[in-house]
Amino acid sequence: MEQENYKIKAVNLLRSRICDPKFIFINESPESNHSKLKFMISSSVTEACNNSILLLGPRGSGKNAVLELVIQDLLQEYPDSISVMRLNGLLHSDDISAFKEIARQLCMEHQLLFSKAASFDDNSQFMVAMLKECGLAHKTIIFVLDEFDLFAQGKQRLLYSLLDAMQSITSQAVVLGISCRLDADQLLEKRVRSRFSHRKLLFLPPSIEDSQKLLMHMLTLPIDPSFPQDYAVEFNRKVQNIIEDRGFLETLNKYLNVDSSVKHLLRFLFCAVSRMELQTGFLSRENFEIAFSSIQRQPKLECLRNCSILELQILVCMKRLEVKEQNLCNFNSVMKEYKSTLTSERYARHVCLRAFEHLIHRELICFTDNRGQSLSVEFRPVKLLISSAELHQGLRANNSCPPKLLNLMDREG
Amino acid sequence: MGEDKTTQLPRRMTRSSASSSASTSNNVAAAKVTCLEPLTINDLLVGGDPISLNDIISSFPGRSSQILEVVRHLGPLNSPILPLFVYGSSSTGKTSIILQLFRHLNRPIVYSSCRTCYNQNILFESILNQLLLHRKNAANGYSNAKRCERPSDFVNFLREALTNVINNLKKSEKLISNEMTQGKIGNMIYLVFDNFQLVREWDKSSTILPLLFNLYDLLNMPEVGLIFISSTSPDTFYSNMGYVEPIPIYFPDYTEEDIRQILLRNQVNQKLYSSFLDVSLKSFCGITKQIDHLSAALKPLYEKYCEPLSDKGKGVAPNQEMKRRLLAHINPHIASSLNEIFKVSSLSSTEVEIRKEEKRKGNNRRLEQSEELGSLDFHVSTSAKYLLISAFLASRNPATLDASLFDSKGGSDNRKRKRKPSEKAQERKETLEQELLMKGPGTFPLERLLAIFQCLVSVAEEPSDEQEQNNDGLGVEGGNGGLMSDVLLQLSSLCNANFIFKGRSCPIEGSMRYRTTISEDLALKVARSLKFPLSKYLYRS
Repeated sequence: MEQENYKIKAVNLLRSRICDPKFIFINESPESNHSKLKFMISSSVTEACNNSILLLGPRGSGKNAVLELVIQDLLQEYPDSISVMRLNGLLHSDDISAFKEIARQLCMEHQLLFSKAASFDDNSQFMVAMLKECGLAHKTIIFVLDEFDLFAQGKQRLLYSLLDAMQSITSQAVVLGISCRLDADQLLEKRVRSRFSHRKLLFLPPSIEDSQKLLMHMLTLPIDPSFPQDYAVEFNRKVQNIIEDRGFLETLNKYLNVDSSVKHLLRFLFCAVSRMELQTGFLSRENFEIAFSSIQRQPKLECLRNCSILELQILVCMKRLEVKEQNLCNFNSVMKEYKSTLTSERYARHVCLRAFEHLIHRELICFTDNRGQSLSVEFRPVKLLISSAELHQGLRANNSCPPKLLNLMDREG
Repeated sequence: MGEDKTTQLPRRMTRSSASSSASTSNNVAAAKVTCLEPLTINDLLVGGDPISLNDIISSFPGRSSQILEVVRHLGPLNSPILPLFVYGSSSTGKTSIILQLFRHLNRPIVYSSCRTCYNQNILFESILNQLLLHRKNAANGYSNAKRCERPSDFVNFLREALTNVINNLKKSEKLISNEMTQGKIGNMIYLVFDNFQLVREWDKSSTILPLLFNLYDLLNMPEVGLIFISSTSPDTFYSNMGYVEPIPIYFPDYTEEDIRQILLRNQVNQKLYSSFLDVSLKSFCGITKQIDHLSAALKPLYEKYCEPLSDKGKGVAPNQEMKRRLLAHINPHIASSLNEIFKVSSLSSTEVEIRKEEKRKGNNRRLEQSEELGSLDFHVSTSAKYLLISAFLASRNPATLDASLFDSKGGSDNRKRKRKPSEKAQERKETLEQELLMKGPGTFPLERLLAIFQCLVSVAEEPSDEQEQNNDGLGVEGGNGGLMSDVLLQLSSLCNANFIFKGRSCPIEGSMRYRTTISEDLALKVARSLKFPLSKYLYRS
């Protein structure tokens, strides 16, 4: 039982690290975004000036995590000089919600009573007044606008009010926009863009060497009394061997070629660590290979493998119509092709219609028109959502596909 | 303590049902017991008797690898997880397995189905009601624990409620560790979103989908796990802004062998049913592999398979001779059953029995003929029938033929065309067929419908010359008054019954355009019930 305990603890430790963004992005080198961002905000705090910064990078590259680490550091250095307001474009992209949320967080931060019934004007004036008061008290308010591009849609009143209030000499504020759109500043209106300083920090995915270092950082156990010494040493040795294995590096390269962001890598690690054998208590290369195959999905091929013979027949008929350059087809024309092509074992029309509807539900085919109320299913135009190669592959992968159908497809292809 | 357990039993029994959502079980529990104890943290558990992993694996044939995969991803107790996306076709066991696994693991969940919670507000309120251990009853006027319409309010309330639940779980864990008797439930809580593919069709799906997919990052709470269950794959959730993808767990359709194992369960005579599946399952799997469709289709066929047996298949194990007899008996019925696989019978069970008796007496030809000549399944007035036929003709025939088809002679000109099928007529016929195949029924203005209707009614009643002269005036008099009365009301009734659809108004003419979608078979049935020669008026004939 004791043995089970520390092995389970090892799995939990690794999984906790994978699910903790702060553990991943610790990087104190002077050239890192962590240091640059910390320097920018720290200068604004010490010099009592305003600033606005855009953090740009693809999803999963650590923009939010690095910012949280920087804010954590700054709150330790300047505990009484910083207030942090966090907004998210998914939640607060309309101005009413945004101003209300700022007022709520300001009231919580300064032990004031928040009124839910306050109007839009009350909240916006309150924000401007608080900026002045904090400026006079030499306190910096940091506004974090996650999903910044969503705030830039609409009238942009929040951005304008915020940046306009920062024009006054008494306020001290830093606006941090986080976005995965590289053209986020181009979305701003002229009056807002002119008030926004064009400082940008680019977050790029790590190189393959950095990814390997990250793997060691994530997957090795600490050599301390929380784990038996020989177990931890052996565990780390095995992890080192896996990471240096050529086959493993090929798999890792294949995986990262699709998406080299850190979060994409973490999904892979999560699947591998979840498959660790609790009997041995060690990671193996097989864990990573199985994780790779299970996380790389081909949904269309999976759908085709699941299709019944009748559904495959309908798809082949639609492909034949497509090859004949018939741009539009619907259930009626597919049935016409079905009757002329497949001479044996034909089913009733309503059975074919239900199979047709199953294909629509699986999203192997879709309607091409937007209006759906007046026309019944048989007359609505449809199109295939899979390519010839995918259909070929699917027919071969389907166990119950009759050879006749495969020949029919080969003849057309 | 014993009383508490007794009181909670009905809710647990209801909760363990895989197909019901938490909201439904709340209502059912409230309906069953007049006065219930307040909800506690234990009501977030699936409940029921403890079940082992091997029991779950044996309960779901063909699913052991998926079950083990989900268990591994959920991980040990108090282990954080990345969001999971469980997907597979309908009837592949996704919801049942997830709920049974949480019953086995004894961990708290908040289950919401996006079918019963059919919009954003109801989903938010359902989640918060469960987390805040709130039950809607007469005392609180059946109101929700929190009223939240904006996503920002929901996330604030959700974070607050989750923090409270997690703190309570940690406290109760300390208490339990002292007692060391009950199984640990840990301090993780899991939000399960079932039927997640339906969110794509919601009004605000472009904002609610990124919100739910990013909920893990928005909350930033390692004690919260998210599980999405969908019958469509992740690539069908289109988004132009992207999100961090959850971990996919795929439930493939059952193989034919899996289907056999599943259908064999709960059968009285395993060997007899197995021999029945030998002759029938492969054919039916060619049409569909969904368990619910197959189960419904094979049930009446199995009853027919057992007809020659004296005990209707209760106890006898079939030998080779008996198998041959049963095979010969069932073979003629398999083909017709294949074409009935998706039909939903509109007859009551009593009428179904009567039909069975009739089918036994008659032969196959009689069956086919009787199905063809089957009477209408609905009743409408004679005037509405004529109106429906008029709408059908107005939709299917081009308007240019109205003058020749609907004169006072009753379509006699059509006979002339039949005598002289020229090449141009043949080409036009083929082109029209192709156009009809592609575009479907056309639209027509109200005036055209009424003109055709009046013509058909006039032909049907064979009015005298005097009455014809009367019709020239503005008022309608005499015998035509019966069929012509309330024609606009009849039309609106047919529109409400979805026999006729009212389209968008034409910007030039400013009048409504109509379209009918009834099939030709249905039109023929209606015409036959009136003894109306429909084929004379169809252009193709």
